[in-house]
Amino acid sequence: MPMSVRDWAVKFSDASDSDATIAAMAKYFTCKYMWDMDDAKVIVEMKDGKVYAINIDPGPMDSYDFALRASAQTWREFSRPVPKPMYHGIYSASFRKDLKIEGNHLILMQNLRNFIVQFELLRKVGVPV
Amino acid sequence: MAKHSPVIGRYVTIDVEGCEYKVFYLRNGHGIPLVCQHTAGCHNHQWRDLLEDAEITENYDVIAYDLARHGKSDPPLNKEWWKEEYKLTKDHFMKFITAFCDALELRDPIFMGSSFGGNVALQLALHHPDRFRAVIPVEAAHYAPGFFIDWWHHPHANAAQVCGSGVWDLMAPQSPDMDRWLTWHYYTQGSEVFKGDLYFYSVDHDMRGQLGDIDTARCPVIMMTGTYDYLTPPEMTEDTASQIPGGVYIEMEDIGHFPMSENYPLFRNYLKEALRLIDERT
Repeated sequence: MPMSVRDWAVKFSDASDSDATIAAMAKYFTCKYMWDMDDAKVIVEMKDGKVYAINIDPGPMDSYDFALRASAQTWREFSRPVPKPMYHGIYSASFRKDLKIEGNHLILMQNLRNFIVQFELLRKVGVPV
Repeated sequence: MAKHSPVIGRYVTIDVEGCEYKVFYLRNGHGIPLVCQHTAGCHNHQWRDLLEDAEITENYDVIAYDLARHGKSDPPLNKEWWKEEYKLTKDHFMKFITAFCDALELRDPIFMGSSFGGNVALQLALHHPDRFRAVIPVEAAHYAPGFFIDWWHHPHANAAQVCGSGVWDLMAPQSPDMDRWLTWHYYTQGSEVFKGDLYFYSVDHDMRGQLGDIDTARCPVIMMTGTYDYLTPPEMTEDTASQIPGGVYIEMEDIGHFPMSENYPLFRNYLKEALRLIDERT
């Protein structure tokens, strides 16, 4: 039984806001992104390196800068403590598995250093699917 | 007492197609020259642990250079290079390597390169089989499209971070944090050349239909790829090696696209096997 999206959002916010690697270069980490896990969707809003809000029930008109979309199984693979080959990052999974990166890639690129670190927090936090 | 490394750094000036390059290289060891090419957009510190590996340097003269425009090797000193877009071609790349080996008067060296250095190793085996004792293409394939993209130097993003973090998941999660972040650090230093290097890697390097012409009796080819490399995944390298008569493929478990830099203690086991196979064949 996966954790609830609400519980996940609390755990993820805590992990991100207390992460030393993000904190080291957090000043301009500001963006809004969707993680579409098939069975669950969230919109994470970052402001100046901190989680400002997590929308755990996005509506069809809710906006974001960019999105990562993949099957629930792929998100479960992302969250293993040591992911299998090709599930170990957003580019490996988009080149070789079913991950789709959509939206404004420029904003992703502007925040890439911290976003990548944040994505890997899933290995500690888990996923709600 | 100061702690000095046995590795020595020097410059040598070479001419490549009319370009004057002052090339920086690191060197340590005795015996058979082992010439090492770093990956695209990077520099010779990727080979830092090999250069200090006492067991290997006992029998091999390890030489890791910075390709022109990388690390401490400047762009051409006799040319207004800033007035042209940098795009590395296979011919210039090979001429650079052979000119460098000539300048150091290396006799029958082994050439090892990773990623675009691995791809040029394949080109050297095809075009200059009598210049090299053997080649070790690491994380290479005969054709690797898809990475010649504008994001590497887009002016609206922090190109240093895009390069460092854009190649982050080319490394295996098992590789030590310190070595992965050092590799990230090196990648933040080469963003202005990364895309131009990848012109060779993804566009000009296309050996489809040519692999059967590589003569491994004259120049053995030992290919090695890590299981976490998504750019040239193991099946791509294996496919390349299988099309080279006498080509050898070694799969490296739990390592990625920058094996010598991200996890040298693991990589050296595979490297020793590659060197043993070359010793057997030469």
